[in-house]
Amino acid sequence: MKSLTLRNLHKTYFDPAVGTRVTAIQDVSLEIGPGEFVAVVGPAGCGKSTILNMVAGFLPATRGDIIVGDRPVKGPGRDRGVVFQNFALLPWKTVIDNVGFGLKMRGIAKPERDRIAMEFLELAGLSHAAERYPNELSGGMQQRAGVVRALANEPDVLLMDEPFASVDAQTRMTLQEELMRIWGERRHTVLFITHDVGEAVFLADRVVVLSKGHVLREIPITIPRPRG
Amino acid sequence: MNAILEALDRYAHWAARWPVLAALAPFVPVVALWWGVAAAGVFPRAFFPAPPDVLQSFLTLTYKGILPAYLEDSIGRLAAGVSVGILLGIPLGILVGLSGVARKALWPVLLFFQAIGDIAWLPLLLIWFGFGLGTMTFVIVYTVIFPVVINTALGVRSIPPELVRAAQSLGAPRWRILTDVILPGALPNIMTGLRNGLGYGWRALIAAEIIVGTSGIGFLMFDARRAGSAVEIVLGMIVLGLLWYIVDAWILAPIERATGQRWGLVTRA
Repeated sequence: MKSLTLRNLHKTYFDPAVGTRVTAIQDVSLEIGPGEFVAVVGPAGCGKSTILNMVAGFLPATRGDIIVGDRPVKGPGRDRGVVFQNFALLPWKTVIDNVGFGLKMRGIAKPERDRIAMEFLELAGLSHAAERYPNELSGGMQQRAGVVRALANEPDVLLMDEPFASVDAQTRMTLQEELMRIWGERRHTVLFITHDVGEAVFLADRVVVLSKGHVLREIPITIPRPRG
Repeated sequence: MNAILEALDRYAHWAARWPVLAALAPFVPVVALWWGVAAAGVFPRAFFPAPPDVLQSFLTLTYKGILPAYLEDSIGRLAAGVSVGILLGIPLGILVGLSGVARKALWPVLLFFQAIGDIAWLPLLLIWFGFGLGTMTFVIVYTVIFPVVINTALGVRSIPPELVRAAQSLGAPRWRILTDVILPGALPNIMTGLRNGLGYGWRALIAAEIIVGTSGIGFLMFDARRAGSAVEIVLGMIVLGLLWYIVDAWILAPIERATGQRWGLVTRA
């Protein structure tokens, strides 16, 4: 596991509706230690997803630095695994091929990547659905696949963008508990974006409250695990 | 009433077992109506042939080898033209779909040339290439390429950006994004383009054969007009319809079932 450092991050963009440059992120600095779970909470439009998109390398920062371990971020890369709100599984690949996709990109041969992918599917209780296509799965199952797809690629940092916002409340609770179980075993460095304060407090070591593009407060959560 | 329901049940049972039956059954009333009108003798037989006359003509022309040879010529021309159209159209469509610059530069031109129907090119093509394969290939490629380019571009643009982002985060290089995300993601639209392109291309071929041809189904029909043989014209029409049905049912539909429908990207008609 590696640390994730955000230093004086700024993001401004031109808004054609307003006709001027708008500030989305204003001087955000954040230090996430190796194996630490940090949740960023805030209302819609506060810029929390913009931060994740910059860390993932999908959006360039206007100013400031993003550093994983000791390497500055330049574009998307497999050192940062991303879990998307809408799962973003490739519909034309079976579940096992989705989970093994990152391994395939690293040139790992089919039998070996199927073996590794199967291990991760078992971790998520999905081994029975390995040969199915994503559209044949429930939302909860799709997101389990989305989480282990990111994990199977052994990222240094796990970035989660409101990953449980598009599943029903019951499934959300199950997924949160499963995430805690897996994180407890593997201790990934996690940046978790959510609008749900309860979820942030349940999951994170530290909660960062974001408002209008800047950090309002940082609150360490000292409640012993398991919480609930 | 019960007997009718029972008969319908039995039909459903057999139709499920032999899909050919389900495909042919709807034509029974069409052929019956045709036969009835012909048998009533409202029109002279020479102008309005009955099904047995067309069948007879089919057997004669097949026996003489004319129909198989013409069919081969038409299908060969279509296959050549469509292949070239696809090979040019899909890469061009992907370029237009991915690159904003290419789209701005090419879109108006594409729409302009698409609006000029294939047939409208024929006079000029006859001056350029004469009465030959060059003219026919040009017309088919021209007809096929626009629906393929436009639908491929639409397909590329319809791919959710998160899918590309997900692949990038998993370490996919650019060419892998193309092969594993862009191409399969655009495939349902590419199939739509292909379906339209093939349909237009087939029509363009018949038109070109009528004007240019020395062989082919279109030529057969036009030649029959010269000879005043309505039966061969009707035969030609039926062959056209059947061929299209075969291409659709045996080639296009199975590909669509195995891809877009399986992946949940398109709902079945």
